[in-house]
Amino acid sequence: MNGWNNKVLDIDLSAQTYETYPLDMEMARQFIGGRGLGVRLLWDLVGPDVDPLDPENVLVFTNGPLTGTGYQTSNRFSVTTKSPLTGTVLDANSGGWWGMQFKKAGYDVMIVRGKAEQPIWIEIKNEEITFHDASNLWGMRVFDLTEKLGQDNNKRNVLCIGPAGENLSRVAAIMNDRERALARGGPGAVMGSKNLKAIVVEGKKRTEIENKDRFKFLLYETRKLLAASPLTSQALPEFGTVVLMNIMNNIGALPTRNHQQTQFEGAEAISGEALTEKYLVKNQACWACPIGCTRISQTEKVEGEGPEFESTWAFGAQCGIDDLPAIIEANAICNDLGLDTISAGSTIACAMELSEKGYMDSELRFGRADQLASTLEAMAVREGVGSDLADGSLRLAKKYGHPELSMSAKGMEMPAYDPRGMQGQGLLYATSNRGGCHMRGNMVGPEVLGLPKMIDRFQVQGKSSFVILHQNGSAAIDALVVCKFTNMGVADEYFARVLSAVTGIQYDTGDLHRVGERIWNLERMYNLREGFTAADDTLPPRLLEDAPTEGPSAGWVVKLEPMLAEYYRSRGWDENGVPAQAKLEELGLADLVAATA
Amino acid sequence: MPTIKLYAGLRKKAGQTEVSITGASLRTSVSALVEQIPALEGVIVQDGQIRPHFVININGHAATGLEVDIQEDDVIAIFPPIAGG
Amino acid sequence: MVDERIYEMFREIGEDLYSAQMISSHGGNLSIRLGDRIIIKRRGAQLGRLKPHDLIETRLDKNDSGVVLASTELIVHRAIYQQTPALAVCHCHPRTAVAFSFSRDALVPIDNEASYLLKKIPVVTEEFASGSPQMANTVAGALKDYKIIMLRGHGSFAIGSTLEEAFHWSSTLEESAQMELAAKLINEPFIEYRGMTEGYKTF
Repeated sequence: MNGWNNKVLDIDLSAQTYETYPLDMEMARQFIGGRGLGVRLLWDLVGPDVDPLDPENVLVFTNGPLTGTGYQTSNRFSVTTKSPLTGTVLDANSGGWWGMQFKKAGYDVMIVRGKAEQPIWIEIKNEEITFHDASNLWGMRVFDLTEKLGQDNNKRNVLCIGPAGENLSRVAAIMNDRERALARGGPGAVMGSKNLKAIVVEGKKRTEIENKDRFKFLLYETRKLLAASPLTSQALPEFGTVVLMNIMNNIGALPTRNHQQTQFEGAEAISGEALTEKYLVKNQACWACPIGCTRISQTEKVEGEGPEFESTWAFGAQCGIDDLPAIIEANAICNDLGLDTISAGSTIACAMELSEKGYMDSELRFGRADQLASTLEAMAVREGVGSDLADGSLRLAKKYGHPELSMSAKGMEMPAYDPRGMQGQGLLYATSNRGGCHMRGNMVGPEVLGLPKMIDRFQVQGKSSFVILHQNGSAAIDALVVCKFTNMGVADEYFARVLSAVTGIQYDTGDLHRVGERIWNLERMYNLREGFTAADDTLPPRLLEDAPTEGPSAGWVVKLEPMLAEYYRSRGWDENGVPAQAKLEELGLADLVAATA
Repeated sequence: MPTIKLYAGLRKKAGQTEVSITGASLRTSVSALVEQIPALEGVIVQDGQIRPHFVININGHAATGLEVDIQEDDVIAIFPPIAGG
Repeated sequence: MVDERIYEMFREIGEDLYSAQMISSHGGNLSIRLGDRIIIKRRGAQLGRLKPHDLIETRLDKNDSGVVLASTELIVHRAIYQQTPALAVCHCHPRTAVAFSFSRDALVPIDNEASYLLKKIPVVTEEFASGSPQMANTVAGALKDYKIIMLRGHGSFAIGSTLEEAFHWSSTLEESAQMELAAKLINEPFIEYRGMTEGYKTF
């Protein structure tokens, strides 16, 4: 079998030792890599008795059999852990170059256990693993640290945390290659709790491909498809993801001022069109990517990667701010501090509402672009108002007696799509295993953009079928690991064929979706084991009860109950959202779950 | 008069972001648009159909086809193929 | 009675199928999946002239509609929904594609559109009228890896996330078959215009 390196690197930070052993190939066959392998290993390694910031929690870094092959966007990798923000299983994935290099170093998986006594950083050069003292690096911001440790995109790659992770902010990100992020759910805090400042990687190995001719053909076809699709060849490179701002506002699904409204009068000022016209320097691509959706933006104060749609929304419409340069700067600050932009922005918005209503005593107010930079800095070091915001909007809102004002699901801040304007997205947020997240089955394609074809965004019956299809499909892509934007030009049947060509194992399109379904169900079982129930598959009361009074989505709330009931039935779960025995058996999970639940 | 708003790559192509037109149906409205801005010929509608992945929203709701009626105060938003996430 | 927008969607595509000569008066079928239920044409109805009462909604795993549905149809659609990620099925009899299916195990289009979108359409053999689980599993099994397949001598089954998608594959297939038939009549040496075409046969 090819594709996988067939090697696990298992590091014990407490003892500063490591060992390597073969990858369980049966496990790899069932879960492929990335998020799949991550959750499978986390199931074994971290149970309900472990607090996410305990040394017993682990960080499982994984790539996949396609990583590093040169297939389009085969640069991505995952980290899996128990989330300090939500307490659920968490996987986050990122692009750039680090994942490719980690594959070249000769590993499929790196498990990081325990806690170092003093701050350390790890250097991986193929088989050579070195633990370095990081006492003089502790406190450094991401950009400086990345440069200091010798970042060179194609040769030597730095993954690290900034001050936010060091201070165990539950919305801290792990950054790689300077401005790429494993952002959501607070993985940076887990890394900080282990006193691990950075992991630097260099590698030389090539990924072996089983059927080279077939692979070449699929590479050729994929290139054609991506070039032919206006989404991947024009829209994304030219405007980046921020191009969504105007359409989300147009349909009345752009959450504004902490989801108090669904349209923002300043949307045009913070749109992709405005960014391209005024602040864009150029676009940029990750390794082996022909799309190039990354923005390089410049203001008077900063130049760097981003901002993406969600980030622009979080500091923009969600905070009632239409000052695009301030938003670009906020995004850059988050990258330098190692903070998740979505959670940070939405937490600030929550604080703005709490303060305006007098529940919280702070200066934060909607529309105050001048407050963004200082608030983010304060969050990273837990100073002043920052100490209230550093752990996300739910803990903040609870502290001030109004948990209902946290726009989160399972404690994770929801991103830039107001589900009162997109019923399917509401179901997605409520059922997503890592909390309120759009990347686990984004319905913006079918409900807003007509990809592949337009469906009625207000329709309720049958919506669960689409959500399930997208959830399973996204999970499969997260296991390969490739970029979901490839999917905009290339159908799933290509991914199945590429996986087969690389590994030599026959996967058809249905098998790939089955892997996605298996991952989804195991994540669900993990959360159930942690004590989550159907009661947690819900949304803030504002979305279930307060219909917008204006705009195209006026009068609508999320009709979660019927969608959820249909969703459970369609997934083969009981009315409490527990996967039925028949379903677990079908997915080959019955024995695993029974033995260790 | 109904308004047509253009987005993303259409703005550069048309040289404008917003146009007032008269049209009783979406089909005639788009024709009126093309008459005013010839650079948009064949860009939005081709062979009598909306081109693939173009999204046309009327007052924020996706138009199901070109035969939809247009009212006096309608705002028609036309998006070329775009993506994000 | 089924939701009006859904009825409209079925009616339009049914009309298009008939006028494109891809079904006979009472042949073919369309269905969609809504959660754990499906909507399918009832036995004896004409796809080209669908009325609202021609569409039946029933549970995915068993018929609870109270209406007799063609068991051969339902068993296949059900197997497809259970074994593939399909949310819509378009089954029709594209006559030129069927003509090609008599003599080969796969259709490999030579025209640009279909070789780009479809690449290869496998042909499977089962007696459709048998209504047996085996027949349903053969069809569903093939659709696990391809979005449109042929049942030899009978017709095509196409899947998608919407009916329009499934119809798109079906229409592309028939167009492609007609072009290839015309090329065979013209009977002049084929000039290849695409790169790496060996990959299509093994797609």
